Amino acid sequence: MTDKTATPEQMDGPVLKVTDLTQQVNLEADTLTILQGVSLEINRGESVAIVGRSGSGKTTLLGLLAGLDTPSHGEVELEGRVISRLSEDERAALRARRIGFVFQSFQLLPALTALENVMLPLELAGSERADGKARELLERVGLGDRLRHTPRQLSGGEQQRVAIARAFASEPAILFADEPTGNLDNRTGRSISDLLMDLNHEQGTTLVMVTHDEQLAGRCQRRFSIEAGIVTEPGAEAHTEVVN
Amino acid sequence: MGAAGKLMSVQRDWRERDVRVVLVALVIAVATVATIALFASQLQRTLVTSASSFLAADRQLEAENGRPVPGEWLEEARARGLETGQMIEFSTMVFGNDRFQLVSAKAVSNEYPLRGQIEFQQQPAAPRVMRDEGPGPGEVWLNPRLLRLLDVSVGDSLEIGNRSLTITGLLVREPDGGFRLSALAPRLMMHADDVDSTGVLQEGSRVEHVYLFAGDSAALDGYYDWLKPRLEPSHEWEGVRDGETFSQSLQRAEQFLLLGGSLAVLLSAVAVAVASRQYAISQRDTVALLKTLGSPGGAIAGMYLRRLGLWGMAGILGGLALALPLYWVLANLLSEALARPVDIRVDPGALVPALLTALVSLFAFAYPPIRRLRSVPAMRVLRSQPGESGREALPDLLIAVSAMFGLVWLYARALPMVLAVFGGLLLLLGVLALIGWVLVSVLRRIRGGGQSWRLALVGLYRHRRASLSQLAVFSLTLMLAATLVLVRTSLLDDWQAQLPEDAPNHFLINIPTQTVDEIEAFWSERGYPMENFYPMVRGRLTELNGEAVKEAVSKDQRVSALNRELNMTWMESLPEDNRIIEGEWFSPGDTQGVSVEAELADKLGLKPGDRLTFTVGSDKVTETVTSIRTVQWDSMKPNFYMAFPPGGGLEGMPATWITSFYLPDNAKSILNEFSRQYPTVSVLEIDHIIARIQEIVGQVTQAIEAILVLVLAAALVVMAAVVSTTLRDRQREGALLRTLGARQALLVRSTMLEFALLGLIAGLVGTMAAEGAVWALQYGMFEGAFRWHWQVAVPIPLISAAVLAFLGRWQLLPVLRVSPMLMLRRLE
Repeated sequence: MTDKTATPEQMDGPVLKVTDLTQQVNLEADTLTILQGVSLEINRGESVAIVGRSGSGKTTLLGLLAGLDTPSHGEVELEGRVISRLSEDERAALRARRIGFVFQSFQLLPALTALENVMLPLELAGSERADGKARELLERVGLGDRLRHTPRQLSGGEQQRVAIARAFASEPAILFADEPTGNLDNRTGRSISDLLMDLNHEQGTTLVMVTHDEQLAGRCQRRFSIEAGIVTEPGAEAHTEVVN
Repeated sequence: MGAAGKLMSVQRDWRERDVRVVLVALVIAVATVATIALFASQLQRTLVTSASSFLAADRQLEAENGRPVPGEWLEEARARGLETGQMIEFSTMVFGNDRFQLVSAKAVSNEYPLRGQIEFQQQPAAPRVMRDEGPGPGEVWLNPRLLRLLDVSVGDSLEIGNRSLTITGLLVREPDGGFRLSALAPRLMMHADDVDSTGVLQEGSRVEHVYLFAGDSAALDGYYDWLKPRLEPSHEWEGVRDGETFSQSLQRAEQFLLLGGSLAVLLSAVAVAVASRQYAISQRDTVALLKTLGSPGGAIAGMYLRRLGLWGMAGILGGLALALPLYWVLANLLSEALARPVDIRVDPGALVPALLTALVSLFAFAYPPIRRLRSVPAMRVLRSQPGESGREALPDLLIAVSAMFGLVWLYARALPMVLAVFGGLLLLLGVLALIGWVLVSVLRRIRGGGQSWRLALVGLYRHRRASLSQLAVFSLTLMLAATLVLVRTSLLDDWQAQLPEDAPNHFLINIPTQTVDEIEAFWSERGYPMENFYPMVRGRLTELNGEAVKEAVSKDQRVSALNRELNMTWMESLPEDNRIIEGEWFSPGDTQGVSVEAELADKLGLKPGDRLTFTVGSDKVTETVTSIRTVQWDSMKPNFYMAFPPGGGLEGMPATWITSFYLPDNAKSILNEFSRQYPTVSVLEIDHIIARIQEIVGQVTQAIEAILVLVLAAALVVMAAVVSTTLRDRQREGALLRTLGARQALLVRSTMLEFALLGLIAGLVGTMAAEGAVWALQYGMFEGAFRWHWQVAVPIPLISAAVLAFLGRWQLLPVLRVSPMLMLRRLE
């Protein structure tokens, strides 16, 4: 369960492969299509931005890619496993080992200190040295002197740093970030995106980020646009797997 | 309605979870207290009615001086709307079928009995029927024993003095057939109008006039106030609570109901306090925003005060809407259990505690944290401020504790009860402080164990602030519930112990000394051995420390025991159910001293060392009090006011012997044989009294169970309310844990374990505090020695662990059902 090395088969091919993904919500009168026929591939170590306006479906896409939800049609393959076919518990186990999250609203637990928040995924994964590792990570994000502070006592930027430390704690293969700078001012946002990029680089993680911040998107290797549930990858023939 | 007005509408409030909890808690508070109060007052009426039938009235006035009371006394009673009736009790010789027999006669007026019914048989073999009136003029009913003794039949005539009366039936049981010596002889009942024409009552005859009164208790009390200054020492006013065999049981039941009510009040107050504090916390952002927009602190405080008022009204209305049907159901259940209609009536007085509870709960428990909202800084809008420290909540706690004290006092009006409950609370707080320390310092050092176990412990440690306050509420709740369970258990045990299946139900009295052995042999041969024979000497207490007792004792101290002859005995060892509370019991070989019954000693102000002089016949005996002892008057065993050592002061005095024993229904025919063989020995059958006491105990037990169920239900709701205060945080945490990869089973297991641990600790602390409170209660109110109650101390922690584990599982439900993504968004 603590095995963090990918198998040979995981090493080859795309780390994330999406085929004809459709998400619909049944309303009283009719069916609302949020995502329609999305297909794309993301390779190991890449950084990818998904940009779009509010309500374009980007957060829904992120949830499906991370296995937080299951699609109406289509498949999501993560490191060769079709996660939409896994049970909830299998997906949870996969998340615990291979996936990290950073949210727009930080999602720290208010009752826990910074240190305890970072320890949480490590403990869930059964790590023996959760405490030490969490301390190291908090040092790395520049909060070594704020270990015992609760989220309430931290600024927004500091909270997001804790969230980033937590996201990298389980050494994930893929990190999903949902508008990571959305709640922060420009300057803090920049330092947070720097941190995110640096850590991503250091740990060789694949980064999939949803954002409407063009500047942040510009720092990613690839960039997908989403509009009215349809995903395109403008100007990138080599990687594409686009559209309807 | 402006925007500010909208902020205040109950409708809008209702959409907030914490307000819903406050309102639900209030509704429960009002409903529980109102239901218990209504039901308790119902039960009180039922009990008094059923106990009143022991007097055949609500009150009796006995004139032991042989003279009727002035007619105006009765007129006054009737003028006050009371029903009245009369009985004349005397002993006389009757003649029938060529035989004479000394009988105890009871002549009754038309109204008799005012309460209860007479059990009657038309013929010896006919079925027993209940009748509401006694024999008419010219008629006489005999008890079956007298019928056998005279060998007469229904229809024959019986001569009493100058009159001849027709026997029209058998008197099986009188509603007021108490334990009186006048009831020893064979019994007959006749009409009061016939007494004069018999001519048997002459000046100086030993006769007792008894007057019966019934009506509502205010009128009875008013009448007694009028009557009191007119009473002579030979007059005795008797209510159900005085001196009757079951009065102790009744009193305890009443106290139990009060205790149950008080605990319900406390439980509800706790729920309101918890929820309103949570509400106040949730309101800080709103208050900060209002301040930013320019609202002054006073206006904000006023707004919340008006809001509290609205909640109060909503809570009271909702509570009453729930209480009335609930009471109706309970009253009907009671009616069914008793197999007779009960008087279902909403006593407005019983609703007062409920209303007061609502108001006090709101203003003493809900208001303090809400009041402090006005001091929330506007800056909070821009930057979240640290939460409250415990120091700010300290005045709240003081207000809450004083309010609790006041409420319980208002409800129970018994200081020992209030002190016992608060002693238990103190104990509880002490233990909780200790547990808080353990949580903080020990839990985080625990390593090893399975993952769920570790997560559960980590959870307890991490939520220590919330856990500790929840723990406080849970243990308080459980302490209150356990106190009630414990008191109920010991109450029922006590009654069971007092009146076992084979409690003596027959007395043999007037046994001549020389036949004691013979009689013992008679019953042993038939399989009914006697336990103990006691000699009985009847005498009066005439002097106290050399002074005539009438002078030594002031008028209001004068006790009925002094007007009658006292039962005195000598015995070597202290009877099992007696207890020495002062002085010492006789050593073997002692021939000096006397042991006095505690209540009488208390009334006369006697203590060891006082010298008492008794007159027995023409002799005088003077002895020093060597001990004071309590007596179980309801033990159905021979009991004595005065006990001497063998060979002591009573040596050589004319004595008869008395014993009591258990005789089952199917062996009653032996009594006929016995009476033929020993005609001078009186048999007193009290099996019906025991049956009545057992019936009353049965009713009270039912009521106690009903109230217990109510209080436990209230406790459960309080616990659910408390769990729901952290629902949002817990659900958020659950969703996040799932996002971070926690498996469902792990989440469920660790949450259930964490809550079960909480429940277990709360259960242990709660029962421990309850044992303390009950210990104090038992010393203060309910007699009996303290002991641990494993039958309560073991299951309650286990049940509370199970209930909380279930509640923990329940609050996780939405987290498990909905995708974590959706849940996080929902809770954002």
